[in-house]
Amino acid sequence: MTPELLQAAAASNQWSAILPELGLGCLALLLLVLEIVLPKSAHDRIPTVAIVGQLAILVALLVNLTPAGLERDTFNGLLHHSRDGQFLRAFFLVTSIVVCLLGRVALAKQLLPKIEFYHLVLVVTAAMMLLAQSNHFVMLFVALETVTVGFYILVSYVRTSPLSLEAGLKYLIMGALSSALLLFGIVLLYGVAGTPTLPAHTGQAMNFDALSAFLAANPGNFVAQCGIALVLSGVAFKIGAFPFQIWIPDVYQGAPTPVTAFLAVASKAAGFAVLLVLTLKAFAPYAGLTVPLLGVLAAATILFGNIAALTQSNVKRLIGLSGVSHAGFLLLGVVAAVSTPLALGAVYFYLAAYLIATLAVFGVMTHVAGPNDADQELDHYAGLARDNPFLATVLAVGLGSLAGIPPLAGFMGKLFVFIAAFKAGLYPLLAVAIVGVVISIYYYFGWIKAAFFETWRAPQPEGTPDSRPARTPVAWPAGVTLGLLALASVVLGFYQGCFGEWLLNR
Amino acid sequence: MNIGLDHYIFLSALLFALGFFGVLLRKNTLVIYMCLELMLTAATLALVAFSRYNGTLDGNVFVFFILTVAAAEVAVGLAIIVALFRQRQTVQVDELNALKH
Repeated sequence: MTPELLQAAAASNQWSAILPELGLGCLALLLLVLEIVLPKSAHDRIPTVAIVGQLAILVALLVNLTPAGLERDTFNGLLHHSRDGQFLRAFFLVTSIVVCLLGRVALAKQLLPKIEFYHLVLVVTAAMMLLAQSNHFVMLFVALETVTVGFYILVSYVRTSPLSLEAGLKYLIMGALSSALLLFGIVLLYGVAGTPTLPAHTGQAMNFDALSAFLAANPGNFVAQCGIALVLSGVAFKIGAFPFQIWIPDVYQGAPTPVTAFLAVASKAAGFAVLLVLTLKAFAPYAGLTVPLLGVLAAATILFGNIAALTQSNVKRLIGLSGVSHAGFLLLGVVAAVSTPLALGAVYFYLAAYLIATLAVFGVMTHVAGPNDADQELDHYAGLARDNPFLATVLAVGLGSLAGIPPLAGFMGKLFVFIAAFKAGLYPLLAVAIVGVVISIYYYFGWIKAAFFETWRAPQPEGTPDSRPARTPVAWPAGVTLGLLALASVVLGFYQGCFGEWLLNR
Repeated sequence: MNIGLDHYIFLSALLFALGFFGVLLRKNTLVIYMCLELMLTAATLALVAFSRYNGTLDGNVFVFFILTVAAAEVAVGLAIIVALFRQRQTVQVDELNALKH
């Protein structure tokens, strides 16, 4: 390697391009320092520092949403900065802010060290932002593992609860298994793309652009097909697509509620960001393999998620399985995106609508849940509309949006994805998706019914304690956030405005 | 016998398959965990072999990242297993089924 090459490599390390990630990392370290420096009585203010710091980073990101040097590679091709990357950065930041807010509410019910929770959430968020912009398999693997190892700790965070630890162990085994599959796929692709006897072999086989060029020159290579299938199955674990969804109900139930929200929204979105980059860029020449594979996955995921959710009475398992079906709808969008550029924007809009609605529902769940996070039954929602109309309204808007009821954002998200699928000519998949929507309305409305309509309960003998946990009163920061989320679901349904145009016009 | 790339890849695929089926079939969490590490080792072996025979260094560098990640994963994983054992006095998978609907 000549000095000129080293100089060129050093010049491509533009640290200013990853300022939001650096800011989050520094903020995460600052929290730990504050925990040591500040007296115990002032520890209550550290979460506020985390939330205000993230808000500042979010504002700076939104002000500088389309900087001059967009659509370029930095760090010697490790990262690729794009408009979609900017959207996902903001997406992950919004999620982590809400998760920190919910964490405050949920952790107050536990006797646990609290600051590390915010630290881990920040580190995981920074890693997800890098993951969404990665352009190289080393970057992708390291960022993905940072996210996954962070989630192992977060899922088993309540270490006094056997349920949380059991969920953590299940997530650990499944997560490590999927990482190993992904890694072996990467190794096969690296090996075959560097083979000196094949045409267009490359020394930079881990780089997505170089890999794509190699795959285009070698159609139908068996080892490459194995590698692609392994990488895609590793990613399918992360997004919870059928048949890799087995971990979802147990892990969602056992994890602390804010962590479940983080898993359901940010982890799933990160998986889809990776999947989009891989199918549309790195594996684009092998669309003949990826499209049927993902198409079958999408159909199976939609049907399985919706049918399995029908019988659940635990709301965390219910929302986990409904999240599986949403992964199916998103997969439909990904399949359509291979041939129709409009679908890419539709997938991102769907993700945004899903974020708003899911976080609203999880906000309500955090307030209804008691100290035992795993025990959240549909019965606990009885009389919510009478006791707390605000929470019940937020819940109804969030669930309505997830079900895709017309004036809400979730409906527009589904509509865009379905239009894109129609344009791409995926009629059988579209039919499956519409059946899935119809089934999903049943269980979403069962939940709304539990909150709004009184059901007859067997009369209890005098003095029997109520088995339902006491609801947490809504403090103003959480109240304002939940109100904003519900409002955003309604407004985005009626009027997509410049946000929709920014996403869909490409 | 001349050992070539194919032998390395065959060995690595064999180790990977052993690890994969070990994860699916074994009942003890610690053994499952060893099988997971076996899968990572298999990937590492294939990576080094490819790197040697293709004449590119990326693979060797990637191995360092994999080792680091695997170490972090083991640290967290064993901590979770120990914490769970303290609560439940078992690490057998079939007895860890408290999360059910």
